[in-house]
Amino acid sequence: MRTTELPAAESTRPRTVVVGSLLATGATFVAFAALVSVYVQQRQHARALGEEWFPSGTVELGPAGMMMMTLMLSVVTVQWAVQAARAEDRPHGFIALGVTLMFGAAVINQFWFVYQDTAFAIDGGRAELLFYAVTGSFIAMLIAAMATLTVTTIRSLMGPFGRDLAHAVQASAMFWHMCVLCYFLVWYVVFITK
Amino acid sequence: MTLTESPVAESEAAADTDGAVEPESSAGALEAPRGLAQPFMTSDAAHVGRLFVVASLVMALGKAVIGVLLSFGRTDAVAPDDLFGGLNAYFRLWTLYRVSFVLLVVMPLLLGLALAVVPSQVGARNVAFGRAALASFWSWLIGAVIVVASVLAGGGWGAVDGVTGNESDAMALTLLGTGMVIVALLLGAIVVATTVISLRQTGMGLLDVPPFSWSMLVTAAVWLFSLPVAIANIVVIYADLRGRPAIAFGRPESPDIWLQLDWLVEQPAVYAMAVPVLGIIFQAVGASVGSRSSRPEAILIVIGLFGLLAVGGWSQDYFTAPQDLRDGLVYVAFGLAAVVPVVATAGGVGELVLRGSKTRDRLLDARVLGAGAALKLLGAAALVGALRVIEPLDLLETSVTWSVFHGVVVAGLIAAVAALGTWPQLLFGPLQQKLARPAIMLLFGGGGLLVLADLISGFIADDPDLMALALDGSIALNVVALIGSVLVLGGLAAVLAAVASALRPSTAHASEAA
Repeated sequence: MRTTELPAAESTRPRTVVVGSLLATGATFVAFAALVSVYVQQRQHARALGEEWFPSGTVELGPAGMMMMTLMLSVVTVQWAVQAARAEDRPHGFIALGVTLMFGAAVINQFWFVYQDTAFAIDGGRAELLFYAVTGSFIAMLIAAMATLTVTTIRSLMGPFGRDLAHAVQASAMFWHMCVLCYFLVWYVVFITK
Repeated sequence: MTLTESPVAESEAAADTDGAVEPESSAGALEAPRGLAQPFMTSDAAHVGRLFVVASLVMALGKAVIGVLLSFGRTDAVAPDDLFGGLNAYFRLWTLYRVSFVLLVVMPLLLGLALAVVPSQVGARNVAFGRAALASFWSWLIGAVIVVASVLAGGGWGAVDGVTGNESDAMALTLLGTGMVIVALLLGAIVVATTVISLRQTGMGLLDVPPFSWSMLVTAAVWLFSLPVAIANIVVIYADLRGRPAIAFGRPESPDIWLQLDWLVEQPAVYAMAVPVLGIIFQAVGASVGSRSSRPEAILIVIGLFGLLAVGGWSQDYFTAPQDLRDGLVYVAFGLAAVVPVVATAGGVGELVLRGSKTRDRLLDARVLGAGAALKLLGAAALVGALRVIEPLDLLETSVTWSVFHGVVVAGLIAAVAALGTWPQLLFGPLQQKLARPAIMLLFGGGGLLVLADLISGFIADDPDLMALALDGSIALNVVALIGSVLVLGGLAAVLAAVASALRPSTAHASEAA
């Protein structure tokens, strides 16, 4: 009997880049949340002993709030890039990715100002040490997010937007959103509640 | 109901007894690099998996030698100071032994098996990110070399008798290597999990995947919730250590660094490397006796429950008063509940045996022997772990901690041998029974003796002695531990011999002819 071999159906679960990035993003968030929890626990411990955490007036809320606003804007622009990639709209995609990268650079610049402004010594005490550990980790994550966005942008310059690239932009955007969420934690825990 | 979520008869029919299914299409098959370039260029996950397995087994042999030396140091035949060149050197090797068996041996060993086996089980041609799998292997290997070299150069995870500035640099290197190893394992876990989630054969629902693939998915989830916490610990320690002088978390002259990371090798986090063991046990027994469970969903629930009880990032007690956390209800409940999935696994295995062929040959097959031995050791570890968390027994800070550790670690090693026999076509070819059986028996005997010696030592110890820096227990028990360590070393040598034998072309041809 002759049999007919039909081609295999296309998988309905092809979004491997998105799934993989989601898992990596989740792992990164767990690491950052653990870091923040160490910070909160140590601060609580110090206060329970009646110790001062940061000297009053050293950590200003203004620059931190500005960074929060900048990152909130970047949430919009990175999502704009995702939509542009899905719609294969190259001009809007490039503009959105470029503006997002600019916002990221602005936040790093602002952090540089904060470090100069506070002038903490890393061995000045537990508060200073954890301040640098938490914010430094955030900056490292932000640089990683900017690097992935840059790679995505370069890839998009080399060829047409396709489904794979749209998924890559979506994955990069997911990591970016996680970074913003992490900064929200920093903003609240380090700069607001100090 | 979508097509992707509904199980179909075809995919089940395509699955053979060990759970491997034919890929949907052979088109686009990988063209693997040949020769010396292969280990550096390949994106074939099966090849990467084999690299992981071989490297882990070699690492295991080295760590088992350290285990023998440490056990010898406990026998009073020679003082640790004389044997290792000081108490601090003893502490360095003591911590290296524990961290290594988790991060450099069992976890990568099971990850390697998963990279080789999981794609076939879910009907994929390869893992989701082949090059990421290769990056995972090489970054793990480089990180492992950095860890071992830096510890031998005077680094490690803290000290007990004060150190010089030079050693603080080596400690920073140890932390860097540890972080690198953890990131590499996370990357590998993400690759495996993505393969199970995204590359399953059309029509295969998530609950239709074979037990080993499911256990690796659960393991990946557990690692993703646990290992990043260790990364956070390392960041804090490293920032302090390099901020000179270290003020709180990274003081090189104290054991503080180890105390921030020891949760990785203790309950419940230590169970994280045992989750795939359950999957291997089910599949090894099923493949050997030729039967399937009547309640496959129950197997998945059991494995999932064990995974849930293995999430351990929350259990570190360095930042809180230890008694607040470890006498707490959650910690005790986790410790006691871990017995349940292991007992349920024993029930499931019993059902498989009852439903399958019970000929002598099949029941004495290395796969069944390995699965049985791994299950017994894991069960012993879980039971000891349950005893450990019972507060009136006062066992938390005793060598009972290492009884659990040894049970889980050796169960992982034995399960790996069972896996090598269960999926020979995906790994190294058929293992010789005359080598595999003794290997399993040696490992089981050695693991059992280590579990027993550490358990009894913990019961009779007068004072808490988690570091084992003072020689606890009786001399006789320490000799028993030494014998156990030697047996484990012998078992690992036999495993490597079995793998080497399976790799020899003449053996492979003889097996094919047979």
